[in-house]
Amino acid sequence: MSAPHDVKVGFAGDAKVLQVQLPPGDVPPWDLDKEFSVVGTAMDRLDGVAKVTGRARYTFDVNLPGMLYGLLVRSTIARGRIKSVDTSEAAKAPGVVAVLRTKDDGHRVRFVGDDVVALAAETLDQARDAAELVRIEYDVEEHVTDFRKAEGAPRLDGDGQIVDPWPESADIEAGLAAGKARVEATWSCEVQTHSALESHGTVAWWKPDEGVLEVWSSTQAVSGTQQAFAAAAKVPQNKVRVHAEYVGGGFGAKFPPGAEGLNAVRLSMATGRPVKLMLDRYEEHTCAGNRPSAIMQIRAAADESGKLTAWDYRSFGGPGYSGQQGGTSWPTYYVAHLPRGARRTAHKDLATDTDAGRAMRAPGRPQGFFAAEGALDELAVQLGMDPLDLRLANDPSPLRRYEWQLGAERFGWKERRNPEPGKPRDPSRPWLLQGAGLASATWGQLGGGSWKVTCRIHQDGTVEVRNAAQDIGTGLKTVLAAIVAEELGVPLSRVRATTGDTIDPAGPASGGSTTTPSLAPAARLAAARARQKLVERVAAALGVDAAQLGYEQGHFRIDGQRKLSFVDACRRIGPEPIEEQGERFRNYAAYQDHVCGCQFAEVEVDARTGLVRVTRMLAVQDTGLVLAKKLAESQVLGALIQGISYALHERRVLDHRFGRMLNGDFNYYKIAGSVDTPVLDVVLVPVANGGNNVGAAGLGEPPATAPAAAIHNAVANALGVPVRALPITPDRVLKALATKARAAESKKEGD
Amino acid sequence: MKPFEIVRAEGIAATSKAAGATPGAVFKAAGIDLLDRMKERQFQPPALVDLLRLRSELAAVKVEPDGGIAIGALVTLAGLAAAPELADPAFAGLREAAGIAATPQIRSRATVAGNLLQQARCWYLRSAAFPCAHKGGETCFAMYGENRYHSVLAYDDCVRVHPSNIAPPLLTLGAEVTVQRGDAVRRIKLAELWPERPTAAAPDHTLAPDEIVTWIHLPKPAAGSRGAYCESREKLSFDWATTAAAAFATLADGKVVDARLCLGAVAPGPVPVPAATEMLAGKVPTAALCDEVAAAAFAGAKPLYHNAYKVPTGTAIAARALRLAFGIED
Repeated sequence: MSAPHDVKVGFAGDAKVLQVQLPPGDVPPWDLDKEFSVVGTAMDRLDGVAKVTGRARYTFDVNLPGMLYGLLVRSTIARGRIKSVDTSEAAKAPGVVAVLRTKDDGHRVRFVGDDVVALAAETLDQARDAAELVRIEYDVEEHVTDFRKAEGAPRLDGDGQIVDPWPESADIEAGLAAGKARVEATWSCEVQTHSALESHGTVAWWKPDEGVLEVWSSTQAVSGTQQAFAAAAKVPQNKVRVHAEYVGGGFGAKFPPGAEGLNAVRLSMATGRPVKLMLDRYEEHTCAGNRPSAIMQIRAAADESGKLTAWDYRSFGGPGYSGQQGGTSWPTYYVAHLPRGARRTAHKDLATDTDAGRAMRAPGRPQGFFAAEGALDELAVQLGMDPLDLRLANDPSPLRRYEWQLGAERFGWKERRNPEPGKPRDPSRPWLLQGAGLASATWGQLGGGSWKVTCRIHQDGTVEVRNAAQDIGTGLKTVLAAIVAEELGVPLSRVRATTGDTIDPAGPASGGSTTTPSLAPAARLAAARARQKLVERVAAALGVDAAQLGYEQGHFRIDGQRKLSFVDACRRIGPEPIEEQGERFRNYAAYQDHVCGCQFAEVEVDARTGLVRVTRMLAVQDTGLVLAKKLAESQVLGALIQGISYALHERRVLDHRFGRMLNGDFNYYKIAGSVDTPVLDVVLVPVANGGNNVGAAGLGEPPATAPAAAIHNAVANALGVPVRALPITPDRVLKALATKARAAESKKEGD
Repeated sequence: MKPFEIVRAEGIAATSKAAGATPGAVFKAAGIDLLDRMKERQFQPPALVDLLRLRSELAAVKVEPDGGIAIGALVTLAGLAAAPELADPAFAGLREAAGIAATPQIRSRATVAGNLLQQARCWYLRSAAFPCAHKGGETCFAMYGENRYHSVLAYDDCVRVHPSNIAPPLLTLGAEVTVQRGDAVRRIKLAELWPERPTAAAPDHTLAPDEIVTWIHLPKPAAGSRGAYCESREKLSFDWATTAAAAFATLADGKVVDARLCLGAVAPGPVPVPAATEMLAGKVPTAALCDEVAAAAFAGAKPLYHNAYKVPTGTAIAARALRLAFGIED
């Protein structure tokens, strides 16, 4: 039977009481008035020292006795069928232990880098030597690697603007006619690769005597891959153990075991020896997924108050050979007031002969938000309005409206915004253009599933919290430990969190910003139950009734008198540790089931060289209950840096004649570095959600939706003309300025 | 990486002779780029001759009796940027170029001669998948391919880009180089390190396989001279210049006695611009004149499909370097 419970939810600007139905056996939710001693404080990442000193063991660091090195021999053509494969020389090469086909004759290769042969040798160099001896013949087929030229692609003019007519809609036309300002334009962005520092890869160890498969994998889904490895190896799932104690980043590309994981297993089973198969950097860029490119066209109108009167959006994605998951999405809350007919969204994926796109940190949103927030700014410019006022005219969210105001004040929006776009601030430096831009953020996640977390209290007063889910760098270990420390009233240093091992209760895949909000309530419940068990055992040891025994702030009390510290009490629990599990119940009513957020960026553009530098960014972000302040801020900071990189630098360069990536490295695949990182400011807005006993929301995705949009808008404010393409490289800036100059010239002639 | 032999000898002559006696041997100083290329199997020499053994002889910056400067070939970029012997404003461009290259880690390791002699940058050249003309193949894949970072000037049938940061400022300073092969020592102009016509078939540098750069010599600059170096780069952390320019100027009574300009990152070799010297001689330098000279430096540019931006960007960078050298506020 569920029990009704009143909980105070909301945030500083909007608090209210919500009646929720508590699941039987659960503890009541932490509410707006809860005062924390561990949760939400600025504790350091528990494994931070291990990481920066190199002691943390990633899959890449796993070395086993007798281990072989595996690699995949890959297609050198973008499309064709395998005619024949000759591995005889490779099989005879020094050190080679196994050579396997991954695709049979007649099978199609779908991109440069598709796997054809897997081999294992005593050393990595021997494996590479052998790979050079594999001879593959193809029936080569014509390929298309540029999604702009793929079947079904829209027709573009010389400036990259879609020229195809829109599907008819009387409602849209009416909405457009009702507006005072109207925009119709095309935005485009390139493929971004995930570029996790640890590449994809697996160490597989098939132990034939036991029939056990033990796997170390750089994965975002420890529990999910256990099933996938078992199925692929035809080994019972109860004989597969997967480890991922540390994962060097994923960003959405590391869910399935992949060709690298499955072939590590095959090679190990073929040789009876452990096999390590990690991708190199070129493979990581070209064979392990990416954020698809996109072309987005919007026509929209707004009335003189800035309120949108019509919104027509269509996009085309370039997700590679899969031809799917290239979708984009845009901030729909801005048009919540529009009648259904006056807003429209359409998307089409364009298949090409390139590596397939995969989920990447807020899939589809950085693309769509860049276009949509860009369109809003163009409307604001036409109306002579502050873009912030245009957002406020359309944004119905009380939380984000609060955040817009808070952010604008903290950032100094009015002062940083260039009142005369394209005009230099300092007349003595006419080439230095400055501007500011903003964009909104959102994501929806309070977690879910019915995951379980184990909490164990030992006789010496130390505590363990365990779940099989992986910590992909977000700080899951620290978060679980903080919740348990809070609930038990013990210092964080006494709690050890273990993640990334299928020996523990299964955990969620780390996708969609779900890991923390899914596991946090189970961790809290596990700790609460362990605490209750501790009280019972201590009461028995003291010969008192458990109901008489209070436990507060790390001390057991009888009639308010301190009797025993936590550690002293643990000594009395006997040799059997207390071990409890907490489960994850379904979410109940919550203040909100998503998060908001907004970001501000300031840029400088050198109008002579076309070079753009981001000089300042602010992210205002809510994420329900903040569990670990520094780690939450770190998530946001990472999103900002990744967003700067996406906005200004990152682009997969293919030579379409050959379908081959040219910058599959970190030399010319450019990622923003320390000197490119400007002043970054993060403000977390605490929100009590209800929803479950913790009320945390995921934070991986939300701050990744807005940065490129805000930076692009800042550049448009600096230049006085939008670039409408990412990355914003000097060639594009100079072209936009030249277009603006030509337009001004022809206007002058027209006058 | 394929197995290779490390060859070590004592002293410059013996090291050169050891290289000559080892078939296929190449010199390795810091090995910054060389080892990367070897790990990626772009280049698989059977033997490396270790030059770092010569550090006791060649890692110093010295003031010569005539007031000139001698820079040991094994001085690091960080060492060059911080050398007190180069405090004169005439060397400001050289210090700047050395001080902003690559990353702090690389600068503390990479050597002056290695920076001058490194392989050209081109993603086709540096991929085993493309048998390009500079590697003995038939085609320059970049010419009509993806060429946003390639040459816009002074190229022939290969549009690779010369990546050395310090070559342009050294050329404006009138640098010479001592090279040694066995016991034979010769001193040449710095520009002679690179082929006069950097065709596809031409090597990256003109030295014999067993010839070692030992010293770089800078003549004593005229009093009141000033050097400057500017580059455009997309990232500030660890990136290559898309265009670069070094300028050097000597003024007397407000007029130009001597002015030199050299471009980098826009052609297969560094590009001295003698016309700049002619255009500026005897003139009172102004910002407008700098713009004019910079425009003239790119007058012969033939940009490729994706790199037309390098002409306005490079022109702005060259003009800025000139202004800095003249002490005109940018």
